[in-house]
Amino acid sequence: MPENAPTLLDLFGPVMIGPSSSHTAGVARIAYLARKILKTPLERARITFYGSLARTWKGHGSDKAAIAGLLGILPEDERLAFAPEIAQREGLEIEILSDYAGPERYHTNTVVLELEGGDERLRVRGSSIGGGEIRLKSVNGFQAELDGGLAAILVLHHDEVGVIAELASLLAAAGLNIASLASHRRDKGDEALIVAEVDGAVSSRLLEAAARIHGVLDVVHVPSIKS
Amino acid sequence: MNWKFTSSIDLLARAGDAGLGLCDYLVKRDAFYAGTSEEAIRAELARRIRITRHSLDEGMSRPQLSFSGLTVGAAHSLAASANSPVADEFFGKALVYALAVNEVNACGGKIVAFPTAGSCGIVPGVLWAWRDARSPSLGPDSRVFQDAFTMASAIGMLVAARATLAGAEGGCQAECGAAAAMAAAALSQLMGLSTEACIDAAALSLKNCLGLACDPVAGLVEVPCVKRNAFMAANAITAASLAAAGVRSAIPFDEVVGAMKSIGASMPASLKESAEGGLAVTPTGLAVAQRIR
Repeated sequence: MPENAPTLLDLFGPVMIGPSSSHTAGVARIAYLARKILKTPLERARITFYGSLARTWKGHGSDKAAIAGLLGILPEDERLAFAPEIAQREGLEIEILSDYAGPERYHTNTVVLELEGGDERLRVRGSSIGGGEIRLKSVNGFQAELDGGLAAILVLHHDEVGVIAELASLLAAAGLNIASLASHRRDKGDEALIVAEVDGAVSSRLLEAAARIHGVLDVVHVPSIKS
Repeated sequence: MNWKFTSSIDLLARAGDAGLGLCDYLVKRDAFYAGTSEEAIRAELARRIRITRHSLDEGMSRPQLSFSGLTVGAAHSLAASANSPVADEFFGKALVYALAVNEVNACGGKIVAFPTAGSCGIVPGVLWAWRDARSPSLGPDSRVFQDAFTMASAIGMLVAARATLAGAEGGCQAECGAAAAMAAAALSQLMGLSTEACIDAAALSLKNCLGLACDPVAGLVEVPCVKRNAFMAANAITAASLAAAGVRSAIPFDEVVGAMKSIGASMPASLKESAEGGLAVTPTGLAVAQRIR
């Protein structure tokens, strides 16, 4: 059981284009966050639906929703219904797959987005947990926990002493409170990913400073989907 | 101040500790988490209430027809019917309005998920029917009407915290069932019942949705979802009527939600939004799925 109830506006919402909060709105939100994590212009996307989503995505417009999210369109935006046409006009290559079984640990409403743009490759897995609420579960194989309610910073770095401390100092100096902070590494001394959710807006100056921390390879800002 | 709660008992205690009514406490809590003012939360609440009315007006303006052919303007038919056995304006409107809002959703129109899209007609249907038939001074900007939507949300928040609002996890009891409980509490609030009686109305309502399957034909949010919105509006009104008469739920709300969770867990996947059981695999259901594929 979660430790706390959702908020009033989480429950009475989202404002959205029908027909399914978990299979339309939630999927659009997951794809929207994934697109924000990819730093280069998107060229190709493979969208894989698992479980309940694999069985019902056609009727729920989950494909349109996922494509909309990849175009930066949120669930409230009427353009969601025309997202495939917009994507085609913009020359995006989109492939949609269904995996009925999927790994057992996956939530029944899981979508995996594999994105390509320039030299960048990104794989994001997310779950739509009901009423439009979502959880990003992994980013490029790193465990991550994001619900999109707060702005977040993702920092890819070498697993070495002091990176987290320096990032925390930068955030403190910017007056940003850390709401959650998690770091997972592939292996000792290998690459690691920090996911930090913060209360407030993240400036580009802060992101540049974070990118200059010794050992940091990449910094990405993920905005809130709710503000 | 303590902003955490996962049970109705917690919630009432937190609001009481803060010296606030339940609705004011929840608005203040949202302002705290969003880092904004209570006025900003109320403004957004009013905006969303207004959108529920837009969905309703859209659904009433013309028959809603979905691409699958499964949604064919039932709200319009019911509103125009001279054969209804229901004489009460409020009750009749609640059924029509719940259908109208949900038909807009089925046709890919704009709605507010409350708590989900497939159940989005139930609370607005009941509350706007009350406003139109009984209390025309209510509106998106009136505190009383906002509090009714907030009371509905409180019930949904508790179901989310203690169980689930996803049909894929808990079946339709988690979606239309939760929405009926929400509407029961909100209507009780508009009728002037105590907060405890509102929560009890939610318990009465939810008990009568336990075990409800989510078996949508062709996986679409149409059959049985759309018409179920009207049936659940009736459920909510029944519950509020009982609560207003002083009838108490034998099982308290928090325990009913616990039962909902365990029932959801023991339901087979075929009845949890997979379109692989129940109505979805009837000969007619399968034929529909075949036709639109």
